[in-house]
Amino acid sequence: MTAPRREMLGYAFVAPTLVFLVAFNVFPLAYNLVLGFTDAELVARGFEWRGTANYGRVFADPEFAQALRRTGLFVASAVAIELVLGFVVALALRARFRGRDVLLTALLVPMMLSPAVIGLFWNLILDGNYGVLNQALGALGLAEPQWTTDSDFKFLSILLIDVWMWTPFMLLISLAALNSIPGTLYEAAEVDRAGRWTVFRRITLPLCAPLLGLAALLRATDALKQFDLVMAVTGPNDERTQTVSTLLYQVLFRDGKLGLGSAYACLALVLVIALATVFTRYLDTLARRST
Amino acid sequence: MKALRVLVLAAWALVALLPLVWLGLTSLKTRADTIRQEARFVPVLARPGAGEPEAPAFAATLEAYGKLGEVHIGAEQSFWQHLGHSLVIAFFSTVASVLLGTFAAYGFSRFRIAGAKDWLFFVLSTRFMPPLAVVVPILLVYRRLELGGTHLGLVLLYTAFNLSLAVWLMKGFIDEIPRAYEEAAEVDGYPLLAAFWRIIVPQAATGMAVTAVFCLISAWNEYGFALTLNHSGAITVPAYFAGLQGSIEGMPWPQVAAGALVFVVPIVVFTVLVRKHLLRGVTFGTIKQ
Repeated sequence: MTAPRREMLGYAFVAPTLVFLVAFNVFPLAYNLVLGFTDAELVARGFEWRGTANYGRVFADPEFAQALRRTGLFVASAVAIELVLGFVVALALRARFRGRDVLLTALLVPMMLSPAVIGLFWNLILDGNYGVLNQALGALGLAEPQWTTDSDFKFLSILLIDVWMWTPFMLLISLAALNSIPGTLYEAAEVDRAGRWTVFRRITLPLCAPLLGLAALLRATDALKQFDLVMAVTGPNDERTQTVSTLLYQVLFRDGKLGLGSAYACLALVLVIALATVFTRYLDTLARRST
Repeated sequence: MKALRVLVLAAWALVALLPLVWLGLTSLKTRADTIRQEARFVPVLARPGAGEPEAPAFAATLEAYGKLGEVHIGAEQSFWQHLGHSLVIAFFSTVASVLLGTFAAYGFSRFRIAGAKDWLFFVLSTRFMPPLAVVVPILLVYRRLELGGTHLGLVLLYTAFNLSLAVWLMKGFIDEIPRAYEEAAEVDGYPLLAAFWRIIVPQAATGMAVTAVFCLISAWNEYGFALTLNHSGAITVPAYFAGLQGSIEGMPWPQVAAGALVFVVPIVVFTVLVRKHLLRGVTFGTIKQ
């Protein structure tokens, strides 16, 4: 086949996907940007130009700042707790024993489930009056908080469900990281009579770090979108649990303010794109280091 | 050290699995048994005339599964019908994203594409878009085209959403197929397209199956787009269940548990089937083992 024809064929293979993705991602971004300067509403047809009035409102809105802080706090605590827990469980699962693979598969199930459906069911477990968690806590003589309704505990409840769902993700990647460490390093450390803690600090941790970083970034980009669990536990308009995504839902679909919501969305997307850029750069460095 | 390991594993296994056990138990209860002050967790078969079992036992019943066929107050269709919508949407979007994703991955793997790396990162970054931040323009266009509330609307959307995963996973799998096969075929005078169908596709079959499972699961579980685009018509199971919240009668917990169990069983089966490839799937193929 002649070279130019071959080259054209390559583009033919990738074009449908790229067209699809541009249509469903770049086009909405551009459209959002335009809508953000209007007073468009969900039910009304037609709109008027509002200039930068929406952006003025967004920047002056304490709710948006609050949702941003809340989301940031959620991402940071979810990633940190899940990473530590997942890594600790991975250390315990590192040795081979009978039934290990079955146990591992069972432990990974939660992350494959639907957060919306399972999150809804968690309301029954966490219920302050008849929930099984509080009955267990009560039997142990511990406090029985109103997990989903007490304003000091709502956020914690959502975090708890997220930790339950996503620690398996960190466990899976931590195990891969641990398995990638060459056994010869540990043998050398044994010859040198290095202590357990030294081995962990000088070999295990640094060699796991790149993959753990990848896991943390992947999880962070996902947690940044947190919507399903908040909807399931408190709904979109609770000042103690409102994340950026649920604030958007409230403004766009409950209040029906498409123009204002689009301005919010554009600002939120700046953050998402920034994090996505960090992630892809990191991936690039990792790939380059391993080749 | 070994004792500590066992302790950690046992503790986490309890945390991870008890909620799922509770889901199973709840699906076997009557509504009254789900909201008792004294939790009941030992299922016993109800014998006629034996009276109600004492706590912690409860009379196990399949009533909730039977009620899945009923239309709940505030909904227009039964659980099974919503499950049907979920099936149709997940199936067709999976087929579409695996096919398109395989084409694109082959293109990126075997041809020189200008700016290939930037395109690949663009493809990956589409995965990070929060649904709520891009849904309004899609909603407005869907209104024009009358795609809101239809199967096709969500099929198209989920295909777009899953393409990032499909392209990255398939590129990993296709990169691993030795080029020598295709070169031999080309020398033998096969046209390139025939080489794709006769060599790449069979070699990448496992990869395509794994990719399909991951696309299927994310389409099956998706909630943000489903809630905002299909709040009437073809409502998928996650949006249907969420809609039961705040109904006057209170949550029908046994039906929710039974439905949730029916809904997650296929996912558990698929998870077991692709357990060797889970790592690849959740990291977009960037970690291979």
